[in-house]
Amino acid sequence: MEKIFLDQLAQIVGMDGMVRDDAELLTYETDGLVKLRSRPGAVVLPTSTEQVQAVVKLCHETGVPFVARGQGTGLSGGAMPHPDGVLIALTRMNRILDIDLPNRCITVEPGVMNLDVSKAVSDEGYYYAPDPSSQVICSIGGNVAENSGGAHCLKYGFTVHHVLGVEAVLPDGDVVTLGGPALDAPGLDLLGVLVGSEGTLAVVTKITLNLLRKPAAVKTLLAAFDSTEAAGNAVSGIIGAGIIPAAVEMMDRVTIEAAEEAVHPNFPKTDAILIVELDGAEADVSALFRRVEEVCVEAKACEIQIAKTNEQRARFWQGRKAAFAAMGRVSPSYYVQDGVIPRTKLPEVLSRIAALSERSGLKIGNVFHAGDGNLHPLVCYDERIPGQADLAQDVASEILTYCLDAGGSITGEHGVGADKAKHLPKMFNDSDLDTMQLVRCAFDPGYICNPGKVFPTPRLCGEVPGPYRQHPTEASGLAERF
Amino acid sequence: MAVLSPSVLVEQSRSRVGQSVVRASTEMDLTDGMHPRIVVEPSTADDVVATLAWASAERLTVMVAGGRSKQGWGAPASSIDLLVSTARLNRIVEHRHGDLTATVEVGATLASVNRELARHRQWLPWDPPWSDRATIGGIVSTNDSGPRRHGYGAPRDGIIGVSMVRADGELAKSGGIVVKNVAGYDVSRLVTGSFGCLGVIVTATFKLSPIASTSRTVAVELDSLESAESVVRSLSLSALTPTAMELVTAAGQNRLLVRFESIEEASAQQSQEACSLVGSSGQTEVLTGEEEANLWRQHGVHWSGKPDATLLKLSCAPAELFPLLQFLRTVSRENGLEYVAAGRASLGVVDISLEGSIAAQVRMIQLLREQLTVGRGSVVVRNGSVTLRRKIDVWGEIGSGLRVMKAVKSRFDPDNRLSPGRGPGGL
Repeated sequence: MEKIFLDQLAQIVGMDGMVRDDAELLTYETDGLVKLRSRPGAVVLPTSTEQVQAVVKLCHETGVPFVARGQGTGLSGGAMPHPDGVLIALTRMNRILDIDLPNRCITVEPGVMNLDVSKAVSDEGYYYAPDPSSQVICSIGGNVAENSGGAHCLKYGFTVHHVLGVEAVLPDGDVVTLGGPALDAPGLDLLGVLVGSEGTLAVVTKITLNLLRKPAAVKTLLAAFDSTEAAGNAVSGIIGAGIIPAAVEMMDRVTIEAAEEAVHPNFPKTDAILIVELDGAEADVSALFRRVEEVCVEAKACEIQIAKTNEQRARFWQGRKAAFAAMGRVSPSYYVQDGVIPRTKLPEVLSRIAALSERSGLKIGNVFHAGDGNLHPLVCYDERIPGQADLAQDVASEILTYCLDAGGSITGEHGVGADKAKHLPKMFNDSDLDTMQLVRCAFDPGYICNPGKVFPTPRLCGEVPGPYRQHPTEASGLAERF
Repeated sequence: MAVLSPSVLVEQSRSRVGQSVVRASTEMDLTDGMHPRIVVEPSTADDVVATLAWASAERLTVMVAGGRSKQGWGAPASSIDLLVSTARLNRIVEHRHGDLTATVEVGATLASVNRELARHRQWLPWDPPWSDRATIGGIVSTNDSGPRRHGYGAPRDGIIGVSMVRADGELAKSGGIVVKNVAGYDVSRLVTGSFGCLGVIVTATFKLSPIASTSRTVAVELDSLESAESVVRSLSLSALTPTAMELVTAAGQNRLLVRFESIEEASAQQSQEACSLVGSSGQTEVLTGEEEANLWRQHGVHWSGKPDATLLKLSCAPAELFPLLQFLRTVSRENGLEYVAAGRASLGVVDISLEGSIAAQVRMIQLLREQLTVGRGSVVVRNGSVTLRRKIDVWGEIGSGLRVMKAVKSRFDPDNRLSPGRGPGGL
């Protein structure tokens, strides 16, 4: 980047707000998806909305792209920097600004960790519902960008259901406030589309989140089955009985064994386990929990463990939440896929995945948010074996086609980012994508806000909406249509 | 644009709108005192595509009508050439009961959809006004909701996919049929509550809820707004999980309806606990079965019983609701207005039905708005006479986001032909 531009950035954020050291820059080359790397042109660490605004304004005036980044735990390359752009790392904007319990909301800066929100209000009996597995280390700003879920989103919804308002810096440097403690702010639901837009529409600088009362009762059981199909039948039985648990998680033999090696949760050695959690008022939970047990027995559970203490409950969850990291114990490398299927298609999709595993020779473990159909196949490979990393990626891509064949989605919570942009046209036709790009053009006509993410093809915003036409950058060979 | 007479327009449209039924406007189609020049009733997505493409070529302004329960909502439209009636788009496309989702065409009424879903003991958990004739399209386009929003959320919380036809006649979809899905932008939420100003929705997909096996409602009669506030506060702080917590307040009346829907023993126990919490603050009665159903039917009359009354929607930060209701009471008395406020006591969203002179109503709306700032509350005129809706900005202040909303509108509808002027913020 030109020195004059870097000097202007330094004037805005100060010298200690710039990352220049080569070794330090390395940290910012990638997010949680380490296979996608790019050295940023510059990294800034702003401490206020005003600094973010000034940086974005400068980028707008000079046509320099920018990418916002939180803790960098994303798994789709959404926060991968632009080589000629500015990476705006929001980790220093990590203050809790206001706790407003009478209105059951909290206002935070984007760098605040997810779990710290619940911790801040826990003593008063409140919590923040979305609980991604990475909640200890992921920030709210990233949650907003990705519309993060978590194990408990089956009952409580995703980030979009819990964000009441935001302050955001638009790609031209204007600051807007959307929503607030009151519901139903009049106007288009820009908040609804901004949450989950993967940092391509604006940089969010303040977030007001909805808080819930902690449930009076929580009961958790772990049921073991001798097949994933039997476990799937139990899930259907629970939902069919009119019960919406707080969470229903499934693990298969591969991931059970990995979790056992890593954190020793003492899970039964079996082909499938379900973790079912109910929460709510005491009367509801105890009555419905008995019904869940009956359903598991009817579905031929070979073992049922009921958490009698908080420690036991924590052990179940530790085993589940450690599943990704635990795969490192059983395989040198692994690729985490994120796809969604209608829950009822589980047996069919899992048998296709098993056949694929056999055909490719790669071990595939499955962790599954069974209540809402979000599948996380973990494709194991050894990068020391030539060609196996590529094979793993092909296998992971093929699993997405199974999800789409079943009527599902290419991503349930990790986002499209840079990684899956090429898959988006398998799910949406040109007209669908064109319509989404109309939103992008309304926010970012200059195409400088996290460019190259989500959509496979850039779109010039001066174009008349309509069926796909070849983009000038494609014609000149500068961009490629995947 | 050459202005063609309605009869010429009807003639010209016949080969251009697919298999749609084309007809002249009747009394039923009168909107904001205007007759549309032509009414088209498509019965397939292809028909809607053809109709909108034709409207685009002829530069016709377009409005959509469903069950006409909310035809007078929003700012009065500035012009209506073409009224697209969704009456024939009324099928349930698919009920995936094992997955708790359903895809429906927008012209189906909520009541008819829920009758069908009930075959598998599931439902779209909404109870907005006029649900016998309100259509899915109208409810989604206004993001309207009723008492059960407390427990189940608003349409924007339950929508997971949409297919719509843009102003230029392109069919586009967003989201899908699975509950968890972050692929692409969430255009479904953007069109929810957009008052038809971004496109014509053809089908929408929703997550569903199981129908609870029993329901009980605790009706609490209270002697003052102060005691209502204290009861609402203690219920909100309790571990109880009601599906509705509905306040009704008018001069001389304060009543709270707290509903528990679950299995028998749980709804019985929770309603008993609610009665204990109310204690001596009010008179409680627990209703179930037909008595309970009647109670909620009567409650619905607050919105729908007085077609000539103005209907306002007041939203505010939850803790500010009761002070605002006190203010409403005082100002109504001073200005000779009669009102009933009914709504979600714990969420800070209430509907206010208002009767009195137009001048006094306008003054009331202005005074209420002065109590609120953008983001911390709003007063929107939902239903009201054309005179009132022309006298006052029905939406109130939108705030800094308006600029982006206008940009979105101009991208989706560059010629400003879809529900012109009627959408939020005058879009």
